[in-house]
Amino acid sequence: MSEQVSRRDFLKLAGLGAATTAVLTGCGPASRYVTREPYQQMPEYNLVGQSTYYATTCRECAVGCGIVVRTYQGRAIKVEGNANHPLNLGKTCARGQATLHGLYNPDRVTDPIKKSRGDSAGENINWDDAIQVVADALKNNQPNEIAFLLGTSSDHLFDLLTDLANSAGVNAPVRFGALSMFESRATLSKAAENLFGQAGMPWFDVANAETVFSFGANFLETWLSPLSYTRGFANFRKATETKLRGRMVQFEARMSATGAKADEWVAIRPGTEALVVLAIGKLVAEIKGGSVPRIFSSVDPLEVASQADVPLEALQHLAELFATSNVVAIPGGPALGQSNGLAVAEAVLALNILAGNVGKAGGMYISALAPNQSEYHRPASAQEMQAFVERMKNGEIKVLFVHGVNPVFELPNAIGFKEALSNVGQVISFGIFPDETAVEADYVLPDHHGLEGWGYQRVTTGTDLPVLSGAQPVVSPYYNTRSTVDVLIEAARLAGGAFASALPFADEVEFLENKVTSLMSESSGSFSAIDNVAFMASFQQYGGWWKNVDAKVSPSGSTAFSRNISAEQAQFAGEGEFFFVPFVSPTLGEAGANKPWLQELPDPTTTVMWTTWIEINPETAHELHVENDEVVKVISEAGEIEVPVYIYPAIRPDTVAIPFGQGHTAYGRYAQNRGANPADLLGLHFNEAGDLAFAGMKVRIEKTGKTKPVSRNESRMGVYGEDLGEEH
Amino acid sequence: MTTLSDLKISEVKLAAEEGGKWGMVIDQDICTGCQACVAACAMENNIPFVGEEDSGYGRAMHWIRIERFWEGEYPEIKMTNQQPMMCQQCGSAPCEPVCPAFATVHSQAEELNLQVYNRCVGTRYCANNCPYQVRTFNWRDYERPEPLPNQFNPDVTVRRRGVMEKCTFCIQRIHKAQDKAKSEGRDVMDGEFTTACAQACPSNAITFGRIDKEDTLVYNMIHHGHSHGKKHLEELGTLPNIVYMNGNGAA
Repeated sequence: MSEQVSRRDFLKLAGLGAATTAVLTGCGPASRYVTREPYQQMPEYNLVGQSTYYATTCRECAVGCGIVVRTYQGRAIKVEGNANHPLNLGKTCARGQATLHGLYNPDRVTDPIKKSRGDSAGENINWDDAIQVVADALKNNQPNEIAFLLGTSSDHLFDLLTDLANSAGVNAPVRFGALSMFESRATLSKAAENLFGQAGMPWFDVANAETVFSFGANFLETWLSPLSYTRGFANFRKATETKLRGRMVQFEARMSATGAKADEWVAIRPGTEALVVLAIGKLVAEIKGGSVPRIFSSVDPLEVASQADVPLEALQHLAELFATSNVVAIPGGPALGQSNGLAVAEAVLALNILAGNVGKAGGMYISALAPNQSEYHRPASAQEMQAFVERMKNGEIKVLFVHGVNPVFELPNAIGFKEALSNVGQVISFGIFPDETAVEADYVLPDHHGLEGWGYQRVTTGTDLPVLSGAQPVVSPYYNTRSTVDVLIEAARLAGGAFASALPFADEVEFLENKVTSLMSESSGSFSAIDNVAFMASFQQYGGWWKNVDAKVSPSGSTAFSRNISAEQAQFAGEGEFFFVPFVSPTLGEAGANKPWLQELPDPTTTVMWTTWIEINPETAHELHVENDEVVKVISEAGEIEVPVYIYPAIRPDTVAIPFGQGHTAYGRYAQNRGANPADLLGLHFNEAGDLAFAGMKVRIEKTGKTKPVSRNESRMGVYGEDLGEEH
Repeated sequence: MTTLSDLKISEVKLAAEEGGKWGMVIDQDICTGCQACVAACAMENNIPFVGEEDSGYGRAMHWIRIERFWEGEYPEIKMTNQQPMMCQQCGSAPCEPVCPAFATVHSQAEELNLQVYNRCVGTRYCANNCPYQVRTFNWRDYERPEPLPNQFNPDVTVRRRGVMEKCTFCIQRIHKAQDKAKSEGRDVMDGEFTTACAQACPSNAITFGRIDKEDTLVYNMIHHGHSHGKKHLEELGTLPNIVYMNGNGAA
């Protein structure tokens, strides 16, 4: 078709001709000076018809992936991955893509508001008054009565408040997120500390392993650093000239989206994870010859096989596989959310030592610390949150500031956060959405959306390099919101004294510069700069700064084998007949429920959209006489919820599972009054590391006689059956 | 009995140089079903969300969906490898001849199946005739309350009620790259741009590129591995331009 003029080109030429004609013949001034008003006032540097791209950091979770946002005439159009960012190398997840539905969400908090508790709406106030409220709250209370509760993103606000705590004596900021609760981050770092003498986030080099043994880890969904782990998985799976296709074994009672990719899915009985790991360790040690290390010696594989409901031959076959290839073993998900979750984590890390993979390609490391970070920092465990709530109940906290987290929804109901708020004199939310916590606040002083604001995020795990991921505004703020850092700096200035001297910055950008430009003197940086201005410009242009040095740590676990792990089953709370597995929705995460396109994404395993469901084995459903879409009441010792049934073929008959992410009573039109929150079923039981034993509950199920059609993508006929005769 | 595959329609058509210009390779072995492609496609192409009830009726507008099937029964249950399914950009597309309004036509320049929204009168014959069930129909004017429309991609038409739509291989991106290449007096280079789904895909399971030349990304993936993959329902003679692989066939 080289000489042919395509239809499209022809139309273009024709169009050009028409335009020329118009100019030659001359039109009236009105048509010559047509001005098209953009949706917003366009910045001067934007050219009509040209897109502008800005690098920033995704704030949908704490991972810190680099993104590049396409903007067009002052509007954000599309999120893409930042191809140069060492963590995600140009990739994005569904939640990152849908961040624009947060930015342009119709239910954002548009102005600072003063309100009464329990109301979602209130009276708009101006920012001067709002800042005075914050200043008065700082000034009129004792510093140790002032507390900040933050989400896991963004780190620059955390650093600002840590500075404030250090110099003005307010409580150090407490961070929490439901994702980190379900990831059992405290357990992982405690296990590393116990075995290797070094607290930190373990990093598993899936990419270079031959075999992966995953004990409940949902590393292809939301776990720790899903994009990085997914890239590793792709490399692991691909056969090349030099390596075979990786082989994956997943141990879990309910097949997760990660487990669905496994070559072997082993449905062990919940609570026996530690036993299974130790038994495999013992069998492997026997196959390899030599004495069985003490840590594995206390179990009897035959007994474990019956306790875990797995044939002994299967354990032997898995041990054989383990002993004869380069394996990495990963602990995660419900396996850590047991009463003995720490024992599970320690046993799995010990398996890696047994495999001889610690600090080797395809094995286990401790993640690199991020730049300007001196020691590993993790969010609060559920037990630490319980202590925090206790202080609230006792009236020790007079002012509570909340930013980036929705504790009323994300914490288990049993912890009593909402009730404890009544003993807190003043609650000030910086929430950008009218979430459950904002409803319970006295003031909502909305921060900018992540795409409208400055900041940085430390990358905790997922890459060999120390990475500080940078954030900058990609669009000007759409509403009358103000950066929380700016509000705090201004309020501290008004409060005077120690507050003012703790935050001696003109604004947020100066604070950022103060924190970031010290990196200029570091060697092997991803870019170099001659002065602060040049450094900040490059920091924004590249979407962060990283050190081109492999800084992951190869720990030494020489004494680990002599540890004693008690070979016991986990304890379960409650009287019900079913083990209960709550899991984070892979598409919604902890805070995605208000983004309509995330609601309409089918769940990877069930294809359900827009609601919560309970997964029940077909055999169990038959015994209970329940059908798909039938609403059942799920009752635990801590509470009860009603959810429709999804008959799920890949779950143990003695186990039921419910996704976390829905069940909001506020949080905007797409989230409110939709589905149910499985956190309402969770009692306050913790593992030895202080993480919630969220998978350590037993529940019972009652029929309700109601039905609710569950919208799902797997049948093109829809859920209403073939009888579509009625008009809808 | 004569079956469709006995007719060897595909061989007849293949001989007639219906090779296609753009194509895709999808490695189902590394697809994790994470839905990043689905979200990316929706954001790039101004696809409306339809809400809980309409999606329950099978009216969700996903241009790409991830199919998964079950094999066996508990405990010997296995989920088949995830299968991203979108318009296969058939060389001989069953949707095209049935459109009375010539809204579903074949582009000679791009060798893609076009959907011309302002010609479409909503007979839905094309969706009826598509063996891949990848066409979606705007049953309503789906509401996108302000300020959500700020996010619209200006390069893509916003469709309204009564119009059929489907995956376009991100033709707006193809055109942008072609225009740039033309202004620089060259042909579009392989890997110069990609579709929204392939760009987002965290495991790089989707690869998009030229298939009308040798030594391109897609060509090499199809021809240099141990497995050459397969095309879906090829026996119908649709000449799809998407190749599905389950790994590269090596052990």
